[in-house]
Amino acid sequence: MRYKVRLPKLRGFAERIPRYFRNWNLRIGFTVFSSIVLMATIGPFLIPYNPIRFGTFKPNLPPDSTHLLGTDSFGRDVLAQIVVGTNQSLTIAVTAALIGTLVGMLLGFMAGYYGGFIDAILRSITDIWLVIPMLPMLILIASMARRTEIWVMSLVLSLFSWAWPARQVRGQTLSLKNREFIYMAKLSGMGNTEIIFTEIMPHMLGWILTVLTSAVLWAMMAESGLEILGLGPQHTITLGMMLYWSNLYASIFRGLWWWWSPTIVMLILIFTSLYIMHIGVTEIVNPRTRKEGG
Amino acid sequence: MNFVIPRLAPGDPIEVIAGRLMAQGGSSVDLKELVLEYRRMFGLDQDIPTQLLSYMGQLLQGNLGYSITVFPAKVQDLILNALPWTIGLLSLTTIISWTLGTFFGAVSGWRSKKSRLHDALNSIALSLYAIPYWLMAIILIFLLAYVIGIFPLSGGYTPGATPGLTLDFLKDVLWHAGLPALSIVTTSLGWWYISMKAMIASLRGEDFIILAEAKGLDQSQILWKHAFRNAIIPQVTGLALSLGNIMGGSIIMESIFAYPGLGWLLYHAIISLDYPVIQGITLLIIISVTSATLLIDLIYLVIDPRIKYGEQ
Repeated sequence: MRYKVRLPKLRGFAERIPRYFRNWNLRIGFTVFSSIVLMATIGPFLIPYNPIRFGTFKPNLPPDSTHLLGTDSFGRDVLAQIVVGTNQSLTIAVTAALIGTLVGMLLGFMAGYYGGFIDAILRSITDIWLVIPMLPMLILIASMARRTEIWVMSLVLSLFSWAWPARQVRGQTLSLKNREFIYMAKLSGMGNTEIIFTEIMPHMLGWILTVLTSAVLWAMMAESGLEILGLGPQHTITLGMMLYWSNLYASIFRGLWWWWSPTIVMLILIFTSLYIMHIGVTEIVNPRTRKEGG
Repeated sequence: MNFVIPRLAPGDPIEVIAGRLMAQGGSSVDLKELVLEYRRMFGLDQDIPTQLLSYMGQLLQGNLGYSITVFPAKVQDLILNALPWTIGLLSLTTIISWTLGTFFGAVSGWRSKKSRLHDALNSIALSLYAIPYWLMAIILIFLLAYVIGIFPLSGGYTPGATPGLTLDFLKDVLWHAGLPALSIVTTSLGWWYISMKAMIASLRGEDFIILAEAKGLDQSQILWKHAFRNAIIPQVTGLALSLGNIMGGSIIMESIFAYPGLGWLLYHAIISLDYPVIQGITLLIIISVTSATLLIDLIYLVIDPRIKYGEQ
């Protein structure tokens, strides 16, 4: 019985998806980002050799028909590294963002919905967390890990990725909490958990999407920033680590433009597409700037 | 916080130094004895609570202790040496990009008609905002230092130049600051532009703007006297916050350019686990962030007549 209350809302959301895609920002951002994701998912299976191993090919080859983007000073194919690196970088960033958004969402819901004492404690923790100088802490934690793996990296980032979502979600929950349909749900005898999941959640879906896109963007930036200092997974390849190695071996001044520039182009593509997607989702969700078209 | 986290790191700073001394080949003294001696000197042989107490006591007397890696140097001196570089570079670039971004944002937010220039400015600002400054720094190093060669690659001044208040040295410093400054200004410009534009655009439909138009004031007067004054408030908040953050926010830039500021110092302290230096700098960062927050509240009094503290 109760599920019949919930399903139409979600179906309404699904039905509106084509209309949302009339928003140009969302359309462009989503297209670029999902093609990058597609490349990063399928790409590694198409590479017949290990792209991380040293000395597979001759070092410092300029781009030609066999190596479309040349090779680096370790004799590794740059294009293969980009494909695998994008995969690993996105894995780290998306995992960190998902963990952060999920934890932040739960804490924000609890703080906003229950209010009072719980709210006071959670809010002050969140506020303190937001004031802590993040980058030095991240560098410190990342330098502690003797052997940084992909999952270590995403855990380190998710330590700091929950506070902002928590604050956003708390604010939204507060504004939803006192609406009439929530009173109705309470009157009809729904429990707290049920109200959170069936009544508040569907209304928050759009907001959570905006929070998630900005969390992925943030995690990606923080990740590549740490890695450019050499504090990333040293034994594998990510986009930030590629920049670190190419900087360490002075690729710019040795004229090896094919080593560093594809990485930068890829990073900029990821950043801008995420950001444009974020703008698009915000425009749809925020009633003041709603431009669904039509 | 500031005391505990660095100590959670596994590894021993003294071992790091001992290893370095070994590598230099100067191990005429027994290494174990040396390590013990060093530990005793920095109080690292005592348990953590005693260390914390003595740290607090020293701190109250305004003493930040000695650096472990660059031993005879006091933490105060290290920080004071690095501080002018960071503050000089970052406060200047932050203010320049804030002023430019706010001005262009205001003008472009006010124009409601669509134009080519408008669209071009928008997309440039958006893409600048989405590019972090260290990527911009690498691109600029390539273009301006490698291809054209008008800027030096790294450092704060030419090695060998004697620091002093001479005109030549000043020129040298400015020349070295060019690339880092350019990369920060261009990337942060986008954000100020976007936020100012959004503020001004959201004010356009407000009653007091319509009233001003009805009174027959000309457009530029409405923009600068009525809309701008309201829109500037969040911008000032942003400026104060980012000025408070400059102490810790430049680590990546400073390590790319080997710029002798606080970020460079902090990065190296973290890598070699130099506790006193890490503590000194994080303390400074926390103080500057909190005082910036306080400053915002005080600035509000001046720029926003609606806010009055201690009155009903």
